[in-house]
Amino acid sequence: MLRPSVVFLFAVLAIVPCAARAGDAPAYGASIDLAVADRTLKNGLLVLVQEDHSAPVVSSYVFYHCGSRNERQGRTGIAHLFEHMMFNGGKKFGPGVFDDLIEGNGGSTNGYTSRDLTAYLNNFPREALPLVLDLESDRMAHLAITPQNLEQERGVVKEERRLRIDNEVSGVMDEALYLQAFVESPRRWNTIGFMSDLDRITLDDARAYFATCYAPNNATLVLAGDVVPAPTFTLVERYFGAIPRRKPPPPVDASEPAQDGERRAAVRKNAELPAVLVGYHSLRALDPQRPVLDVIERVLAGGESARLHQDLVREHELATGIGADNVWGIDPDLFWVYVQARPGKTAAELEHRIDAVMTRMATEPVSAEELARAKNQLRAELVRGLKTVSGKANQLGFFQTVFGDHRAIFRLEAEWEAVTVDDVRRLAATLLVPSQRTVIVLVPVPSGRPASERMPTGGAVR
Amino acid sequence: MKATLSVAALLVTLAARGGRSDELPPVRRATLDNGLRLVVSEYHELPLVEFYVMVGAGAAQDPPGKAGLAALTATTLRRGAGSLSAEALARAVDSLGGRLDATAGIEATVVSAEFLAKDFSTGLDLLRQVLLDPTFARDEVRRAREEQAAEIVAALDDPGAVAEKCFAAFLYGAHPYGRPIEGFRSTVPGLSRGDVRDFYERWYRPNDTILVLVGDVETADAIIRLREAFGAWRPRPDAVATRAGAPEPVSARRLLLVDKPDASQTQIRFGNISIARSHPDYLAATVANTILGGGFTSQLIEELRVKRSLTYSAWSGFAARLQGGDFRVGTFTKSPTTVETLALALEVEGNFRTQPTAPAALDKARTFLRGQFPLRLESPDALAARLAEGEFYGLPEDDLATYRSRVAQVTAADVERVARDHMPDPDRVAIVVVGKASEIRDPLTARFGNLDTIAPDACEKLSVAR
Repeated sequence: MLRPSVVFLFAVLAIVPCAARAGDAPAYGASIDLAVADRTLKNGLLVLVQEDHSAPVVSSYVFYHCGSRNERQGRTGIAHLFEHMMFNGGKKFGPGVFDDLIEGNGGSTNGYTSRDLTAYLNNFPREALPLVLDLESDRMAHLAITPQNLEQERGVVKEERRLRIDNEVSGVMDEALYLQAFVESPRRWNTIGFMSDLDRITLDDARAYFATCYAPNNATLVLAGDVVPAPTFTLVERYFGAIPRRKPPPPVDASEPAQDGERRAAVRKNAELPAVLVGYHSLRALDPQRPVLDVIERVLAGGESARLHQDLVREHELATGIGADNVWGIDPDLFWVYVQARPGKTAAELEHRIDAVMTRMATEPVSAEELARAKNQLRAELVRGLKTVSGKANQLGFFQTVFGDHRAIFRLEAEWEAVTVDDVRRLAATLLVPSQRTVIVLVPVPSGRPASERMPTGGAVR
Repeated sequence: MKATLSVAALLVTLAARGGRSDELPPVRRATLDNGLRLVVSEYHELPLVEFYVMVGAGAAQDPPGKAGLAALTATTLRRGAGSLSAEALARAVDSLGGRLDATAGIEATVVSAEFLAKDFSTGLDLLRQVLLDPTFARDEVRRAREEQAAEIVAALDDPGAVAEKCFAAFLYGAHPYGRPIEGFRSTVPGLSRGDVRDFYERWYRPNDTILVLVGDVETADAIIRLREAFGAWRPRPDAVATRAGAPEPVSARRLLLVDKPDASQTQIRFGNISIARSHPDYLAATVANTILGGGFTSQLIEELRVKRSLTYSAWSGFAARLQGGDFRVGTFTKSPTTVETLALALEVEGNFRTQPTAPAALDKARTFLRGQFPLRLESPDALAARLAEGEFYGLPEDDLATYRSRVAQVTAADVERVARDHMPDPDRVAIVVVGKASEIRDPLTARFGNLDTIAPDACEKLSVAR
């Protein structure tokens, strides 16, 4: 029960790579045929409807095409703080009413924010659809940006930061990685924002953010479940049609000077075990080469048969567990690998083996069997992401927002299918190399002695 | 590409379907001659099959001095079986894009698997080998044992996990419900291959095992296939575990402080012994808990988060098991507001037990639970787990089918009674606080009296001696 929450590095895997497949013209051997009807209102609101009558329930997602990449230095965290404020009342529905009405009608509600987007979801019995649309349109048009609302959520979000970053080993490492790896891109700061910025955000900042990002032409509404497209579009038009179109948010400059040379940082923390987090500059989601990295991610970390597990856990018995993710973003993000050491093993030993595994990836061809296994895993996960109406709506909105077109999910399987042994080796040799990476090492400080007085938060630990 | 999974074979349509069902899918139950209980339900939304096997023994059956054995047995189960080595088995599962897990709980061990429907036969055969013919190679037992020992250490870095584990140990003491499933750092290194084999031979038997299959299958055919796969599994009369007696509640307020010297946030848990899963009040207790600490409009959220911004989250719940269980409240806050938050959470819980239930709050809770019910059973793995739960705890066969109507019948008087009877008096609770002792010990002592302070790795000692 963690609402409004931030999508973090270590949670991304669960949300991103499971996608849906849709549509009208599956020209490339679709494995999943997800029928989606779409309509754009006059004010620019894009509405997607996915019909699934297997249960009398509906999932609604409103995706605003703004996340922490739309923030500026000194006001980091406002996208997510604002997400919290969105639950506290509009014009027709006052403070404290939103959650009450949703739950009182059998629904549940939540939200999340990432670098690329802010999403609001409700899962509810179909009878509640008009109410949900009423609530969502009221807060889109008329959020009550009041001092009470801001102050209430400021305290809550600071507590969330303490939970997810400051008192969580992987959270500290995640934040440090992005601050090191990116110099100029707004992807460098964590979506939850710096503590000092959370203290600094004003009511005027919140108003300006609302005016910039919360417009119908900057949003996608997805409805999946027991709905029929035509009458649903009419209903949506009734609630959202009168909200005026606004000037779209200014384009984000995510340019990043090329990295040529490894970057490293250490973070100290009361912890039992060392750990290493390595991030390589990756490709934006729409890059034609991105699917190659998806496949590499599985070859490295797709289950216990994958290379990192086999090497670091099985063969050399250095690690407790491993993880890797090729993060899909509007801008180039990172391909990261995380390994936690066993008692008595050092970060240097972990790094040595990570190096060996990555070097092999770049120098030797993967076997046909490995490649097939990686692709099968990607496909199976595609299916798995569609178990619930909420999963389906989330996937459609994600692709619309990050890939610019929900139908991008059609392309996934064909893209993966086309990846060759040679593609894998070539791209690994280009991108997954030491000169392109940032290494974060967790230095455990034994309990009983406090770690450094404060963890670095204001800038890179360089 | 040597695709083991042809794209065309996967073709499914998630578009509009005829024939809506507001009801749950039909469930077919059968018991094999060897006692294995089968539960099968068809699910055709996605081309998946889910297996959920509950073997009726877990950490509670760990022999004296061998804490962690059930967990080690479960882990090693899938490290080689039949003709397959550990690597070959992992490769087989990963190649199908499938999943096959084995996890020990306190009272049962769950072996679950998911495969694409077209891989039903291959997946079933892998599951059969794992359950009936695990290799337990000496080197695999050693590896799993070392991994388990490392996991015990790794978990110490997660303040929430430390709070949960210390709370269970502090509340239950030597009762099996307080024992960490993964065992102690003192016991795990001593677990041998012989121990693992013995545990397996004794407990992994069909006569106290439930096998649920939910998937894109045809029921009659699936039952034939399951019988073929598991019919030869040999039962053993003493594989039916004798369960521990009911745990003893604490009779006064007891407070434990677990020191995390660099923490800026304090994790809080408190509670006491409460009802078993099969207790007739369980459903009403769920409704009551929804009002106090479930969902986003609970009283705990309202008082701690919405009104005072003390926390990001606050919740309560019944951990209900075979012989009883506990009711616990959880939250967290920055170090300086530790006392305020704990005192307020205790007050909210105490007031809830004694004050009348507002009709609007009851209505909302009932509607919420009824509305969310189909969403919670929507995915095939969730349905499989819920069907197994019903079998394991001996719930009526129509437990799920009647759930919504039974929720609708819960009255304000029911809620008031179960809150009073099954939620603890805040003066009689075990309290665990995980945080920076140098900052919070004095204010906690000033408000709540004497407390013990221990290091996170000392919690395991609480569950052997109390």
